[in-house]
Amino acid sequence: MAKRTMPVPAVRYERDANGGELLYRLRFRYCEKGRLAMLSHLEVAHYLERVVRRAELPFAITNGFSPHMRISFGGALPVGVGGTCEIFDLLLYRDVSPEEALGAVRAASVPDLLPYACERIDRRAKAASVAYPKSTYEVVFDRPVASLAVPEAVEVVRKKKTRVLAPADFLIEPPAFAGDTMTLKLVSKDTGSLRPDVLVRAMTAGTDVKVASITRTALAE
Amino acid sequence: MPQPTTDLWPRLRDLLPLAERPVRYLNHEFGSVYRTPEDDPADTSFVMVYPDTYELGQANQAIRILVNCVNAQPGMYAERAYLPAAEFADQMREAGLPLFSLESCAPLREFDAIGITLPHELAATNVLEVLDLAGLALRAEDRAEADPIVLGGGPCAFNPEPYSAFFDAICIGEGEEAMPEMVACIGAGRAAGKTRQEILEDLADIPGTYVPGFYRVLPDEEAAAWGYRVKPVNGHALPEIQKRVFEGFAQSPAWEPCIVPFADLVHDRLSVEILRGCTRGCRFCQAGMMYRPVRERSADNIVEGALDGLKQTGYDEVSLTSLSTTDHSQIKEILERMNAAVAGKGIQVSIPSQRLDSFGVDMSALVAGEKRGGLTFAPEAGTQRLRDVINKNVTEEDVFSSITAAFREGWRRCKLYFMIGLPTETDDDIRGIASLVTRVYEAAREVTPPDQRGRVRVSVSLSLFVPKAGTPFQWDGQIAPEEALRRVNLLRHSIKFRAIDVNWHDPATSFVEAVMSRGGRECCDVIEGAFKRGARMDAWTEHFRPEAWRAAAEEAGVDAEALAQRTFDLAEVLPWQHISSGVHLSYLRLEHKRAFKEQTTPDCSFGTCTGCGLCPDYGIDVETQEVRVG
Repeated sequence: MAKRTMPVPAVRYERDANGGELLYRLRFRYCEKGRLAMLSHLEVAHYLERVVRRAELPFAITNGFSPHMRISFGGALPVGVGGTCEIFDLLLYRDVSPEEALGAVRAASVPDLLPYACERIDRRAKAASVAYPKSTYEVVFDRPVASLAVPEAVEVVRKKKTRVLAPADFLIEPPAFAGDTMTLKLVSKDTGSLRPDVLVRAMTAGTDVKVASITRTALAE
Repeated sequence: MPQPTTDLWPRLRDLLPLAERPVRYLNHEFGSVYRTPEDDPADTSFVMVYPDTYELGQANQAIRILVNCVNAQPGMYAERAYLPAAEFADQMREAGLPLFSLESCAPLREFDAIGITLPHELAATNVLEVLDLAGLALRAEDRAEADPIVLGGGPCAFNPEPYSAFFDAICIGEGEEAMPEMVACIGAGRAAGKTRQEILEDLADIPGTYVPGFYRVLPDEEAAAWGYRVKPVNGHALPEIQKRVFEGFAQSPAWEPCIVPFADLVHDRLSVEILRGCTRGCRFCQAGMMYRPVRERSADNIVEGALDGLKQTGYDEVSLTSLSTTDHSQIKEILERMNAAVAGKGIQVSIPSQRLDSFGVDMSALVAGEKRGGLTFAPEAGTQRLRDVINKNVTEEDVFSSITAAFREGWRRCKLYFMIGLPTETDDDIRGIASLVTRVYEAAREVTPPDQRGRVRVSVSLSLFVPKAGTPFQWDGQIAPEEALRRVNLLRHSIKFRAIDVNWHDPATSFVEAVMSRGGRECCDVIEGAFKRGARMDAWTEHFRPEAWRAAAEEAGVDAEALAQRTFDLAEVLPWQHISSGVHLSYLRLEHKRAFKEQTTPDCSFGTCTGCGLCPDYGIDVETQEVRVG
């Protein structure tokens, strides 16, 4: 009979004064552009985990039966929507300078999903997924558009259930138009959010305007 | 032929919003290899196709190995292609978008050569879907001079006859060396301005290459006199094609560069092939016959390769793959070294199958950490008599010792694979499965602490025996689907515990597998007829259309039942007799006779040679790192 061997921890976490694990939190910003805007949130999350492993950063892992990387992601982008300011947070068991960490993850990335900034943040700061509820989207059409009406209600089907959302509840300000571009500012709420692509589809329904791209260009608290 | 220049991406991009999972078609994964402006535009272009969707194909080792081998050679390059999902294929057809390669999004028909792997019998109509979507003639004889040369290979190539009309040339055996040779041959031929016929003749001169168009099918009497079903009609074609063996396997690096996909694959992990071949000699197993001899990579090579691979890919799981991983003579050392190296990194080491003895369980315990999911074992038959017939050299004691060891080690679930419809099987053997499983369940409960006994689960997975070309059971018929269901029901009614659940494969798909496995050239018409009636993606339950196959067989005048279910005479000339896996026909006949006498044959990698004939013919030998004990 084989002897049961407990997994040997390769690293001993440093402890703070209260005996807690001393971990370092880094926040990365990355872009998701080109054809990779067609990736789902889960696919991007999966990818970023592998980037961190390839970069050989000293990432912390969870305790328990199924240890996994202590990484967390910002608000999800719908499939087909790109981003220039997406974020993910990573907990490290050893302090690494943001410059060094950024260099390592960039070398392990593909060009259309490339981290471009990194900073140290407080371990107790808000989680990446709720840190920035306000998003700005740039919608590029196939032609100049002077204005489009915002419908009063949008029907959303999720998990076979239909919900009716009022865009006014989510729009921070009225959409702005300049040439072929529309700027949308949406806030996500605890009760849910309105996807920009769903709103744009509703706004362009009944017109022959086509959407060339949708990109999240700014995040705000 | 000039290299592909058309970029279909702008057209594909417009269609992608209609795709269920766009990630299948995006390309740009980490590790993809692209052409650069510095590359020679005269390089021969090759695209390797897996005839199913990206999720299945990207995980396939053959595609990875062959693309790497071609890219490693000067003067040629390889790209990948997969079939789109059925619904998206329809949308592509409607939009007039042909099948494309991933890396450069170029139409397949612009490449010099297309390679399609034949992973299993149910991929037959998908081969036609690939050709049709690519805009190529389905049949090799209808292709134009400038069309790509369509190459085949893979497990099903050991009976290539049902596919013979659709391929220009088929590689028999391992492709590591053969595939670059074939691509080089096509490139040289094209550069020299040779005709398609001349290029095919050059290909036929490469060992292990079968050019079906260079043979004619013989009538029964002539075949009996000639000894093969087909006869060369071209001076370059050999009467018998011997499979290729990659003799450098054991010494080749265990780390083979791979692409890290964005999509969630069926096997989404790093796989490291630690050994090739298995000579346990199960008489139904085609892989056991065609990947001989056993060749082990060294522990150093494997551990370094796996760690290097983890570092370069960022995967959090590595699977040490082979037909029988726990048979590796250094497996304990490999697993212990791997465990030590990945400790604390959240990386899991896995092995795909367990040997049915306590050693197999010990090895599983080594890699399982604190996580005890389910363990899988394959006793294959319920009685000792039938296990002797199939040469599954496993005793009832082995079964019980391994399963009780597993439950003592903390596992609470196990899955047992059985085959039904094996030659000589009777109802007693079916009841034997029920009896064995019941006793396994009771034994598992006994060694489990009382408070955890409620969690003990045993699941039984039944598959229907499919006679495979090149095995000792190639002569034996399959039982009819109705009879298979009767036996499944007999088993289900013989099991009394609710904690034991029984699952089975649809016998209708196994029937098609048997037809494709034992058919001759007449099956080309059946495949084409089924495809034209809408059959494709047959391995997907929701797409399988048995009525299309039935109608196609009827139209082609093929007695499908006879092909699948008839027991062939040992003296009969088989449709695939001109394809040799290196194992002598006389040995297969001997093994067949031993089966019916319930005599077993030992594994030559653990002891002495059993005389299959392969090693002396090739001048090679079993390559284990240390003496195997077990």
